[in-house]
Amino acid sequence: MIEICAITAEPPPPLPESDNLHAVCSAGLVALCTPADEQPLTPSVLWSREEMLEKLMEQCDLLPVRYGSRVEDDAAVARVLAERQGQLAEALERVRGAVEVAVRVLETDTAPSTTEPPASGTDYLRSKTRHAKVATDVHEALGRLARASTQQAGRAGSELLRAAYLVDRGAVGSFVERVAELQKAKPQLRLLCTGPWPPYSFTSG
Amino acid sequence: MSSIGEPDVTLVDLIDRLLGGGVVVVGDITLAAADVDLVYVGLRALVSSVATAEEKGVLPELGSSL
Repeated sequence: MIEICAITAEPPPPLPESDNLHAVCSAGLVALCTPADEQPLTPSVLWSREEMLEKLMEQCDLLPVRYGSRVEDDAAVARVLAERQGQLAEALERVRGAVEVAVRVLETDTAPSTTEPPASGTDYLRSKTRHAKVATDVHEALGRLARASTQQAGRAGSELLRAAYLVDRGAVGSFVERVAELQKAKPQLRLLCTGPWPPYSFTSG
Repeated sequence: MSSIGEPDVTLVDLIDRLLGGGVVVVGDITLAAADVDLVYVGLRALVSSVATAEEKGVLPELGSSL
């Protein structure tokens, strides 16, 4: 079994030998694959995959593939590329020259609404609406600096926004500055920004 | 992923991306849905602990959180 790690366009980028990668080319696309192994899932395993993708990303635009995507052999990889050529080429075009930046917005524990329970149902709804507005404001302000953006439901109760932005490589600095400005303007929030990542959240239309 | 972000927050975002993002090109992902659910149970605890940990001035130990 082999694992597909990333997809890029031909020609294949130079592959560092240490990563045990090989390229499978078909239909103008290149799948970068590694032998499948049965390592337990640990943070360091995930980090080495990430580092490998980041090194490749310096050489070419790529689509990261969902972790654990395994097929029988190179012929099966070539079939996947040929079958999905249109969709993959389109996605590659969409992320060309861009990286992903992640932003989460948490409400800090000092905000009044989290230290005291709402006095009534109306207060509760009012506070929910206010939180939704804060999250929307931040998302819109950052979205203006991005080529595309996505938003997921907040995971914990204090997580008001969990979003990803597809940002031109050259614009990451100004994006991060904007995050810092928003943080300064909204001390009741905690803006958590990470990246630049390969475009994990922008691989499908 | 080295230029922005704090290490613990970064691990949460990494897990979100590697296990929940990326293009899906094959029907069978070796990581079973149940495994992913388990990871996310840990992750939920971790996300809610980020704010708590900041308040206490400590950050959670992550070595065994997966």
